[in-house]
Amino acid sequence: MLSRIAESLFWIGRYVERAEDTARLVQTHLRVLAEDTSAAEVDACRNLLALMSVDSIAEPTTNDLLRVLGYDGSEPTSIFASWASARDNARRAREVIPLELWECINTTWHQLPADGFGSSGAHTFLGWARERSALFTGIARGTMVRDEGWQFLLLGRSLEQMDMTSRIVASASLTTGSSQWRSVLRGCGGHDAFLRTYGGLNTDPDAATFLIIDARFPRSIMHGLVAASDCLTNVSHANPSAAIPSAKALRRLGQLRARLEYADMTSLLEHLDDEMSCVQDVAAAVTKTVSTSFFAAADPTPWITEATR
Amino acid sequence: MENVLASYMVGEAFDEMMDTEGSVRPSYKAIYNTLRKTTPAELHNIAESLAKSYTHAGVTFDVGGVERPFPLDLVPRVIAAPEWETIEAGVAQRVRALEAFLGDVYSAKRVISDGVIPSQLLTSSTHFHRAVWGIEPPNSVRIHVAGVDLIRTPDGEVRVLEDNVRVPSGVSYVMTNRTAMITALPDAFSNQRIRPVAGYPQRLLAALRKAAPPGADDPTVVVLTPGVYNSAYFEHTLLARTMGVELVEGRDLECRRGRVYMRTTAGLQRVDVIYRRVDDDFLDPVHFRSDSMLGVPGLVNAVRTGGVTLANAIGNGVADDKLIYTYVPDLIRYYLGEEPILGNVDTWRLEEDEARAEVFDRLPELVVKPVDASGGKGIVIGPRASREELDSLRQTISLDPRGWIAQPVVQLSTVPTLINDQLRPRHVDLRPFAVNSGDSVWVLPGGLTRVALPEGELVVNSSQGGGSKDTWVLSPPPHYSATESRHKPAEKAEPVIEPPVAAPEEAPAEALPARPNSPVPVAVTAMPVAVLTPNADQHSQQEQQQQGRQGFSAQDRTC
Repeated sequence: MLSRIAESLFWIGRYVERAEDTARLVQTHLRVLAEDTSAAEVDACRNLLALMSVDSIAEPTTNDLLRVLGYDGSEPTSIFASWASARDNARRAREVIPLELWECINTTWHQLPADGFGSSGAHTFLGWARERSALFTGIARGTMVRDEGWQFLLLGRSLEQMDMTSRIVASASLTTGSSQWRSVLRGCGGHDAFLRTYGGLNTDPDAATFLIIDARFPRSIMHGLVAASDCLTNVSHANPSAAIPSAKALRRLGQLRARLEYADMTSLLEHLDDEMSCVQDVAAAVTKTVSTSFFAAADPTPWITEATR
Repeated sequence: MENVLASYMVGEAFDEMMDTEGSVRPSYKAIYNTLRKTTPAELHNIAESLAKSYTHAGVTFDVGGVERPFPLDLVPRVIAAPEWETIEAGVAQRVRALEAFLGDVYSAKRVISDGVIPSQLLTSSTHFHRAVWGIEPPNSVRIHVAGVDLIRTPDGEVRVLEDNVRVPSGVSYVMTNRTAMITALPDAFSNQRIRPVAGYPQRLLAALRKAAPPGADDPTVVVLTPGVYNSAYFEHTLLARTMGVELVEGRDLECRRGRVYMRTTAGLQRVDVIYRRVDDDFLDPVHFRSDSMLGVPGLVNAVRTGGVTLANAIGNGVADDKLIYTYVPDLIRYYLGEEPILGNVDTWRLEEDEARAEVFDRLPELVVKPVDASGGKGIVIGPRASREELDSLRQTISLDPRGWIAQPVVQLSTVPTLINDQLRPRHVDLRPFAVNSGDSVWVLPGGLTRVALPEGELVVNSSQGGGSKDTWVLSPPPHYSATESRHKPAEKAEPVIEPPVAAPEEAPAEALPARPNSPVPVAVTAMPVAVLTPNADQHSQQEQQQQGRQGFSAQDRTC
């Protein structure tokens, strides 16, 4: 597989996942604001933007948040920009992407909102954005050959998913209300699953355990870690020349996995923000290693990588 | 019920559907009957769903970097079986002659020593590349793909407007148009047998594999694109996808010791055949433009040492030089010993004093084109030019008569086209595509029909509001032998009676085959309109990125 194509697929996986998770994050935020009347809007918005590494706005409102993370294509963190980048990459890899998958990406891009909207229109848009990502995932699973390209797509997607879940989890420490974990669980689509798995008498550490180290839940950090390790193992088997650098990346993933798996949940919760930053650092480091070892061709394209805090 | 064809009026030009008496030609019977039963509202819905499906599928062309859905009109252009045979034979004949010509000029140059064309014609052509002199391609094929632009004059004759043997584009739309039309007008398809076009990628791939350097048992074929900003990028992806090969950019390739490799996740992988969609000038910064970012350094050397095959070959531009075009009938007689099946459009060579004097005299009614440009660059339309422009043109021509040709202005034939929910005649041309495998020249049944949408407009260019039509070549009825007549073009001088397809009661009015032995070209024309300023050097790389040079969208045409 051409290095350039592999790289495009990797980033398509990341961008589509990022669009979905950003939508989830913003939905969680809107729900928290609505449920928890004590939270100050400006503080909550500023914290959330900081979580997404945006600090250009002094006094952000919910509308700013919707613009920067939602519909403004000139903001690199927005859902709009994620889909536009995914579509750019899909165009470059057009001949290897199944037709249905391309049409899914292209149609989504065409349907991206031309104008802004306030919080009243937000849920429609965010729900739509999640649906489009889900459609993409479904079509990709249903039509893509399980070759190297699939592995790179999945690798990108898994790294992004663990990175973004860590941000959603970190957002739990941003507000002070008691409903925060429930909101975070809802944001990840895991509220019911959590209740069924852990019973109704749940505690914060249980919720954190579920979202961070329960690999059975497909949006948990651990699930992303395991999936990324598997993909990396698969692609490095096929490419002996990249074995050494990918072993390094695998070690980073393994170390993080051990650290989270055997962590004392109470103390992890105390340092939630730092621990989650650490997850994001590992995702960035692995991305860098993969880029240099598999996508060797000099590429002038400026990728929008995840900013670490 | 309102009839969308009720007010259809044929103009001065030849109309493909209706003759001057107002009766429908046999080949259009099925379409006519389908359309007659359709209301304007239904047509409107069909047109909308066509446009929408193209937008979603990303069937687009780029104009100035902006992607637009490729406009497809819902009324197809229909070509009857006997007429298609003439076109097919004529196009194949032309490709064979140009192939022989290229093989000759890049080796012995017999054509010059035998006095068929003057030697300065060759040496003064900007697309004659000495860098590739003496290179013999593995199976002697230089024109793997050709696109020959045809027009029909008011008297019904099919003429060749120009040859494209460098990187002709547009074939992808032939395939996507067909797919879209099958869902849009299923009735019209079920009433007659239309020859399929989906076999093109397999034919092309087979031809490319045959062109591989000796020793490559299972050759690796790739498509080389200038990148996503090229107007024909959609086509490049479609061809790579349907042939099941990699689509590469210049930066994906690397030349080492006379061989070409592509960078893959598993390291370097050998490439045997490159179907390149990048112009000669940008292919190899070592031999051509040193600032090209689109090519691969060392590619020409790799071709010379036989490490890789380029399709189409470098230096083909000398064969579609517009001044050489005027000699093509002679070349056909010289190389093949045959009479041309399709005639040229009347053309004046401005190097000849008499012709130049006549052209200067009649400049306001003629079209003048530079010989080496494609994409409609530098063309001057007499009737639309001001006195000052014509005066300065006379000066320019006097200084460089080799650089220009002149042709008369003619009406292209028309086909009904949906305009504001009504069908109106609009001008069309046709670009059939030929694939040369070395054993035979295969012509894709049909080709790209381009249509000018504004009333009276003769420019069919997509970037100027032009659209396209699906082109239907009807299958001959079972008793009609296709192979027999193909090899005897000279005997087909007489109009062939159209075998009735859908309406046996219709009078056999059809009689449009181009005549093989047509005498002096009567007068035709077509010409490019968009008069672009001759591009400054620094802009051309960007243009190469943004528009296919011989690209269909860059090819402006009018009459």
